[in-house]
Amino acid sequence: MTRTTYKWLLFIRTAIRGITSSPVTSAISVVTIGVTLVLVGAFALLLRNMEELLDQFGDDLRVTAYLESDVSGEALRGLEERIRKIPGVDDVEAVSQGEALERFRASVGSGSALLDGLEINPLPASLEISLSQDRRSAEGMESVAKAIEGLAGVESLSSGRDWVEGYLRAVALVRGIGVGLGIILALATLLIVANTIRLGIFARRDELEILSLVGASRSFVQTPFLLEGALQGAAGGAIALGLLYALFRLVLPGFEFGLELLVGSAPRFFSSGEALIVVAGGAGLGLFGSAAALSGGWRT
Amino acid sequence: MFHVSKSYLAGSFALRDVSIELAKGEFVFLTGPSGAGKSSLLKLIFGAERPSEGQIVVLGRNIARLGESAVPPLRRRIGVVFQDFKLLPRRSVEDNVALALQVTGTPPRETRARVFAILKQLGLQHRRYHHPLSLSGGEQQRVAIARALVNEPEILLADEPTGNLDPELTVEIMDLIASAALRGTTVVVATHELEIVRRYGKRAVRLEDGRIVEDTQPSFSRT
Repeated sequence: MTRTTYKWLLFIRTAIRGITSSPVTSAISVVTIGVTLVLVGAFALLLRNMEELLDQFGDDLRVTAYLESDVSGEALRGLEERIRKIPGVDDVEAVSQGEALERFRASVGSGSALLDGLEINPLPASLEISLSQDRRSAEGMESVAKAIEGLAGVESLSSGRDWVEGYLRAVALVRGIGVGLGIILALATLLIVANTIRLGIFARRDELEILSLVGASRSFVQTPFLLEGALQGAAGGAIALGLLYALFRLVLPGFEFGLELLVGSAPRFFSSGEALIVVAGGAGLGLFGSAAALSGGWRT
Repeated sequence: MFHVSKSYLAGSFALRDVSIELAKGEFVFLTGPSGAGKSSLLKLIFGAERPSEGQIVVLGRNIARLGESAVPPLRRRIGVVFQDFKLLPRRSVEDNVALALQVTGTPPRETRARVFAILKQLGLQHRRYHHPLSLSGGEQQRVAIARALVNEPEILLADEPTGNLDPELTVEIMDLIASAALRGTTVVVATHELEIVRRYGKRAVRLEDGRIVEDTQPSFSRT
């Protein structure tokens, strides 16, 4: 082993000793970082699933023209041709009443038995108009829908524009609250971690003075404190991750079926990479807190 | 040290126009009453303070122009002993002495061996797992000396090293410090106890009000 390795082993040992010698203040740091990350992580998790939902809908964003019941086959073909020529229309697919019912049955999955009791098919035939890439937005849908509105044989239109707009607003709101809360909590956490480390520096001022006397470099003195902050942060991050997972498992069954029905897939927890980011985020908070404490002025 | 002055407050000088040269391996006493500037002079030598005026060259480095990052490497070549020992009460004797080697990245096995050797030399090997507060004053000062010497420094500075000790222990501690000079270490001891200065008969530089008022060359040598 090299001298650098010995030094790092010593730094780690000193950092752990720093944590264990003041368990209460260290625990305050860990819990603070943990609480911050649980709150921010909950928003991140919500946002992640909301955005995933939007991605899934992205390909399905389309305008549906519900047809009057007496439209003949020839009129339907004529209507289809006219719609295809509208700017922003990528494709038009005719869906008969029977196909509409089958699709609904498939999407309901295990609940499809409820549909067996129907005597008549209540679903209208329709034209599903998919949009070109540049029109897959609330505004794009609006322009295409306006062009179709009033065409002969079209009874009503469903574009989901209002839903998309509302959903995008909700996503933006969640993101805004998450980021705002994250910044405020991160700053508060930095202050608490910085103060904890500052208390540690104060408690060990005699040791630091002696280290300075025997020729310890600035990095030799500061590295254990930085490590101490990072370790506390990583522990806070790991605790937050565990709590988030427990909450996720606890809350999920309540709306899993509804979401599966609506979206076709259940909400997902963080991937292993994202989970690592949560722990690294905690370590980063601890590290910056320590750095802030040390920048307060320790010198050789 | 050439024409060095040190002022902590405007118009109030701890040292005034001090010039002194110490040879390698020399044993020098700094004497004078409290507040004469002895401690300030030692602090300047190990880079804890910078001179307000003048130049100080220590081990080839000009303290007046020393960057902050150059201070630790210099201090590893200088051992310092204080009146209040400056030991860590919650660490064992062995750990206290090992600090001076750990800052240089010395491997643990070598650190343990060298710490044991110096403790044995100072008669403290049986106390190595004890904590400083369980030791007598003399033993604590011996631990501090062990920490100062374990890195084989080129200079040993001692600021009132026997100020907290009774007369018997004073001789014991001073003998240990003096023995470092025999191995080629330059030793500077600040003390106001003239009895010690007379006993060893070494060069004595007397400071008063921040100025050198007397520089007595060795009359006889006991060590």
